[in-house]
Formats: sequence, C-alpha cells, structure tokens
Amino acid sequence: MTGRTFAIGGRVIRQIRGDRRFAAAMIIIPILLLLFLKVVFDAMSVPAVVQRRYAVLGVSFVIHFVAFLLTALVVVGERVQGTLGRMFISGYRRLEIVGGYLGAYTIFATIQSALVLVVAHFLFDLNYSIGELGQIFLVLWLLAVLMMSIGILVSNLARNVAQVIPFVPAIVVPALFLSGIVVEVSKLATWAQIVARITPLYYSTQVFESFFTGGSIFGDLWGFLLLPGLAIVVLGFAAMTLREEL
Amino acid sequence: MGEPAISVHELTKRYAAVAALNGLSLHIPSRSIYGLVGPNGAGKTTLIKSIVGALRPTSGSITVLGHDPLRDRWALRRRIGYMPQENALYDDLTTAQNVRFFGSAHMAGDDLDRAVARVLEFVELSSRADARVHTLSGGMRQRVSLACALVHPPDVAILDEPTAGIDPELRRAFWDGFRSLRDGGATVIVSTHQMSEVVECDHVALIRSGSLLLEATPNDLIARSATSVRLWRRNGTTEDHAVDDYRTELPALLHADVERVELLQEPLEDVLLRLIEEPR
Repeated sequence: MTGRTFAIGGRVIRQIRGDRRFAAAMIIIPILLLLFLKVVFDAMSVPAVVQRRYAVLGVSFVIHFVAFLLTALVVVGERVQGTLGRMFISGYRRLEIVGGYLGAYTIFATIQSALVLVVAHFLFDLNYSIGELGQIFLVLWLLAVLMMSIGILVSNLARNVAQVIPFVPAIVVPALFLSGIVVEVSKLATWAQIVARITPLYYSTQVFESFFTGGSIFGDLWGFLLLPGLAIVVLGFAAMTLREEL
Repeated sequence: MGEPAISVHELTKRYAAVAALNGLSLHIPSRSIYGLVGPNGAGKTTLIKSIVGALRPTSGSITVLGHDPLRDRWALRRRIGYMPQENALYDDLTTAQNVRFFGSAHMAGDDLDRAVARVLEFVELSSRADARVHTLSGGMRQRVSLACALVHPPDVAILDEPTAGIDPELRRAFWDGFRSLRDGGATVIVSTHQMSEVVECDHVALIRSGSLLLEATPNDLIARSATSVRLWRRNGTTEDHAVDDYRTELPALLHADVERVELLQEPLEDVLLRLIEEPR
C-alpha cells in the first residue's frame, strides 16, 4: 500500500509543480487577504494586541477555506476527467487514493501555512517566540488536514466542479460568523451554538483562544486533541465513501 | 472458439426507468479480438464498465477470467487493462509520467521502467516520452491512453472506442497493435460504432438498445450479405435479380440479349446497419 500511496502523492506533487500559476495563486491569495486585513485594521485604528489575535484567527480562516476548496475541486475535477475512475480500475484502492491526495496536499498546506504565518508574523508584528509560532503552525496544519478530509468527503456529493460551489458558502459563512472569531460562541443563540460546533474552525479557534490566554495550545489538551481526532474520523469516512463507480 | 475469457449472463442495468442493458448474454473467447459493435447509446460502454467492475448491474452475472468483477475486483484489476472512452489522462504530466503512474499500481523499480519503455515503443511514442500531454495531438493522446491501459501488461485489454476520432493511418496502426496483443496471448475487447471495423475482429457482438442482436464472426456476417445479379442488355439497360446462390440461379436468368453480368455484394457495413434497423 505504501508504495502506491507514494505513487499517487508523487503524481499530485508533480501536477502541482507543473501548474505553477495555480500553486502561486494558492500562496499569494492568502497573503493578499492578510494584507487587506492589515490595511482595514490600520484604517480602523485597531489596537495592536487585537490585530495580533485577528491575524492568527484570520490566517486560520484562510487556510481552512483554501484547503477545503483546493481538495474538493481537485477530486471532483479528477472524477469529471475520468482519471479517478481510471485509478480505481488500474488497481489503486480507496485508502491509497485518499492517503496519496492527503500526503501531497499536506505538503502543499505545510508550505502554504508556513509562508502565510511568516508573512503574518512580520505584517502584524506577532512578537511570538519560535516555539509559539510552531504551536500556531501545528494547529493550522491540523486544521488544513481536517479541511482536506472534508473536501474529499464533499467531492462525493458533487458530480461536477460547479456543484462544489454551493458548498463553499455552506462551509465558509457559518465558519466565519459562528466559530468564535467574530463573536464569542457562548453569546450566540442556542441553535447557533449547535451549528458552531459543526464547523471545524470552531475547534481551532477554541485552541487559539486557549493559546492567547494561557500561552499554550495544550492548555485545553482535550480541545486540542479534538482536531486530529476529527481529522482521523472524517478522513476514514471520506476513504470509505469515495465513490468508485465510473 | 476457445475457452471464454469473459462470460456475461442475462445482464441488466437500469437507470430509473431506462434499461441501458437488457438481459444481455455473451461469451468472449480467450486470445481473440472481440468487437462490441453498435450505434451510440447501444449500451457498449455500460457493458464495458460492468465487465471492469466499475458498475453494479441491476441483475445478471459476469465472469472475467474466472472471477466476479465486483467481488474479486482487486485480484482481477492486475490482469485487465482498461482504456476509457474519454482519454482520462493528466494533462500537466508528461507521456511517460502518465504511463508510469498507471503502471505503478502493479509494478515498481526496474520492472516499471522496462514496462514503460516497452509500451511507449509499442504505441510509437518513445520520442515524445517527455512531452506534456496537453501539448500532444488528439491521436497521440489516444496512444498515451492506450499505453496506460497496456503497461502492466494485461491478460484482457478492454478498450472503449479506442479508434474514435483518429485518422485512418493511426487506426490501421491501432488494429495492427491489437492483433499483435492477441498474438501475444491477450484477449482484446474493442467497442466501436464504426461498422467498417468489424472485419478487423475475430468475433463481434452486435448490440442494440442494450440487447444482443447476434454474436458472429466477420465471415458469418459476410454470408448474411444480400447478393444480387445485374444483367446488362445489349441496348444498355439493366435488370437486377436478388439471388441466394448465384452459381445455381444465374443460368436460369441468362438469355440471348444479355451482354454482361455483374455480381453485386451488399457491403458489410450495410449488412450491419440492416441488422440493427431490422425489427426484432
């Protein structure tokens, strides 16, 4: 299984390298969004400490959105193109395919998260130690893996790339407003608090809140462990449900 | 006819109220070129997808090399090569990278290197091994797709409309390649809606509306072609007579006014179209 998973991961990486415009856009767009955020904050004279909080949460929002969209679009694209079906007929198995995608895009997400975090560090003068930046990076990375798994899962529900589009606001809007970035979740209506707990960004925001107050993402260990736990569950579910039919 | 490589028994596939396959049965002999012939929408692709285990039939059964293509699909996929109707290639990768990727489902290392080199030579694309697929012509892309299906190499090659939209020269090269695969011991299944390609097959199944009209050899089909005799009179006029066996019937038709006799054989393509259009 390992060799074939690597074959798929290697192929995906070669494709990303072959499509440099796409790869560059995926790195540059999150950085531009951060820049816009900075411009708006400066215009609003938001205090530096608040800016730093929103910079980290903003990076997490952008990474979570891009990771989901990228994976969902790529997997649906492969289905439409016929290459996903051809992979199955050629003998690749579900877990190998999901593992291969995830491996490749995780490398991509790692580079993306690291670069965006470095830019945020200088742009917002984050003033964190290397260790603290490492902790932020770990949460971003886990969030990206979780969102990729959700992207693969959602790709099962779409027959073409256009059908992915309705899922974008369905994933992004509740995440932005209900995850705790804009307003504390405890202040929301009960039903909205339930919806908030469905959004992966809620869990990463909780971990970051624990980091902002206590200086460690492991302050609420169980809260932190929920992120990899959810990623494993969703990944398993995505692997089980990946449609094999042509 | 040798042992069947593939047996299909009473296969039905329904999509809501539409039956794409309707109780179809056929037997595909080993080490032969077997043509699935029929107009667009006849059910050829549905049949192929069922054979490769990518589609669950509504009812009926299939045996491929002694295996159930759904239950034993992982054992089977090592032994079959599938070329889909659409090319299903990675445009951003090179020819060799595409072939290598599909080959790595079953091979690795030097074996894979040798297999990729061999199959690229087979489809005459060794010189374009490092060209990105999106830079290749339509015919070349078809050849890359064929190479991806044959790289491991398979006991049964299942090729869905491999010659659609390619020029006559390349088509001839493809059929030469299919014959060489068969001569090497493989079973080659080729679907086509081009009736003229029937003569290239060892056996054909004529499919219409999800049902099998007949299984035959090209010679069987030629025997079904209508023959007529055209008599040219001295005054330049002609008269046509349909005959079953011109050798016995011709003497009775001849008379002193006949200057010339012409034997007219219905083209194979017309025979197939007639069979397809005939009410059952």
